[in-house]
Amino acid sequence: MPEPILKLEEVSKTYRTKGSMFGGRAAGLVKALQCVSLEVLKGEIFGLVGESGSGKTTAGRLIVKLESPESGRVLLNGEVLSTLRGRRLKAYRRRVQMIFQDPYQSLNPQLSIYESVVEPITIHRLAAGRERMERVLSMIQTVGLSPPESFVNRYPHQLSGGQRQRVAIARAMVLEPDFVVADEPTSMLDASYSAKIFNIILEMRKRFGITILFITHSLAAARYLCDRIAVIYRGHLMEVGTAAEVIHHPLHPYTRALIDALPKFGLAEQIPRYNTLLEEERAGVEAVGCPFFMRCRKAHRTQCGREVPGLEPVGPGRFVACFFPGNGGGAGGKGS
Amino acid sequence: MNARTAGTGNRNSEAEDLLEVEDLSVGYRTKRGFMRAVDGISFSLKKGRSLGLVGESGCGKTTVGMTLMGLLPPNGEVRGGRILFKGEDLVQKTEEEMQRLRWNEIAMIFQAAMNALNPVQRVEKQIAEAILTHAPDLPEEEALRRVEGLFQMVNLPGERMHDYPHQYSGGMKQRAIIAMALACNPDLIIADEPTTALDVIVQHQILEEIKALQDDLGISLIFISHDISIVADVSHDIGVMYAGQLVEYGSREEVFGDPRHYYTRALLASYPTLAGEKRDLVPIPGETPSLVAPPSGCRFCDRCDAAAEACSLERPDWLEISPTHRVLCARCLSS
Repeated sequence: MPEPILKLEEVSKTYRTKGSMFGGRAAGLVKALQCVSLEVLKGEIFGLVGESGSGKTTAGRLIVKLESPESGRVLLNGEVLSTLRGRRLKAYRRRVQMIFQDPYQSLNPQLSIYESVVEPITIHRLAAGRERMERVLSMIQTVGLSPPESFVNRYPHQLSGGQRQRVAIARAMVLEPDFVVADEPTSMLDASYSAKIFNIILEMRKRFGITILFITHSLAAARYLCDRIAVIYRGHLMEVGTAAEVIHHPLHPYTRALIDALPKFGLAEQIPRYNTLLEEERAGVEAVGCPFFMRCRKAHRTQCGREVPGLEPVGPGRFVACFFPGNGGGAGGKGS
Repeated sequence: MNARTAGTGNRNSEAEDLLEVEDLSVGYRTKRGFMRAVDGISFSLKKGRSLGLVGESGCGKTTVGMTLMGLLPPNGEVRGGRILFKGEDLVQKTEEEMQRLRWNEIAMIFQAAMNALNPVQRVEKQIAEAILTHAPDLPEEEALRRVEGLFQMVNLPGERMHDYPHQYSGGMKQRAIIAMALACNPDLIIADEPTTALDVIVQHQILEEIKALQDDLGISLIFISHDISIVADVSHDIGVMYAGQLVEYGSREEVFGDPRHYYTRALLASYPTLAGEKRDLVPIPGETPSLVAPPSGCRFCDRCDAAAEACSLERPDWLEISPTHRVLCARCLSS
């Protein structure tokens, strides 16, 4: 069994929002992550799957130390992130890299491709002169921009979105990191181009043995890339397990609702539905319990509405945060 | 011309064609020359049917939608072909005539529709205004009553009519946009990536909504998206576009069940799904060709597994696989 390389221990993060000037919203708190614990094993691709606003990007930003947790700890190889200073922090910034969602914004438009990819090497003083040049060229080749010589002098605006994302990957990988956070790296690209990026990520893992946290809204992409996945909803982890288990035998009503909602290539009639999603949110109740209570068809009024279910083991390597995992649930199909 | 004969090939069925696009070519004047965004495409759409146009960005699918609406930007130009809508050629119509048709008979749900609502006007007012512009004699109360009906139709709670757009969630805004498209009872709706920015669950609800409305109201629909799985879910017929051309056209079952064009096959092989065994995804190699100086032969041949020498030289002909299924490929029968 491989060891965990990354650990989140009861991590919470809250953002303060400004109120809107015209009375729509009052100033308030957005709980992006609530007491999230998870382990990513060395060498695996771990998928964090959730909708927008679920907290998945916040988790990624905490790991690369673009944000700090409000409570709880993030550990990489046993080192607590919040204690890193000076040289150890700089080393951390080399070992952990992030690939951002939007390659149109993550590359500096004024830097040529060579300048973009060489910059991290220069900052971390990893190589100089000829060796530096060779590293850059070989990395550009590795991400499939071939021949690399024909790309190094171009600028981002001369590349397609998919090519830019490959440059962003090269820029992250050129530091030979241990851990990479890939935040929806294909959501701005055409579906047909995504496969290319997926395969580059798989190739990177194979060649460099890196560990990857793959953040996505797409269960299909997670199935293709990931060994294990965690489903996140409103800052809570709902279900963790191997990608195959979670997708083919989902236990949490929310995971089931996600799977029901996926396009079925016009075969919807032939595929049985879980039907765990309420058409409309529950009315007249306050949601203090399970984060999915308001939309869950299977919820038990008293228990699910009042208590937050913890992420409990239900099998080897399998965790679900639900009082009634996998079965029909408490109150059954009644709406409210 | 081949395209023309193929385009009118399935005329013998009972329902009448609402829309017939014949050999349509559209392009844009750019600094680098004339970009042939749409090059000789033909298709037809019957009343109450839905057609999904699918392809990568830059394949011309949005240009088709904009041309049908008569909303090309100033540097855009129709270079040939006809768009017969209820038997009348839209290409020949003046801007004034198009204005009368637009929204009344052909409506569009735009890409990034979330930003298409006016932020400083109540939603009911915006939709009522759309109705009143096209029926100036209607009393305002009557228009507001219609808005109420539209809200019901798209499953928006009636009490939210008086809200401003920023008080809506993304899904609600999209429903409001659909309500606006339905406001004047159009016969044809063009939906261009209507769910791209939405989360899976909301996307599913909106797609179900569109399908149900289309069934109930007998509206014809052109659904434009780069996402084959979504297109497959809402469309009766599928048109696959590549580099400005239609390359495969047929019923959903034929195109996705028995794809013949190598581009259609490549698209399907590159797409991750949850169904069936997990398989390796095969990316499509290379990049799309320039549309300023497109290749003279098959436009996909640089990226095609099966391309022979002749493919890059000769313009391929349409091949009829069945009366409702055709392919623009010289080698699609050879394997």
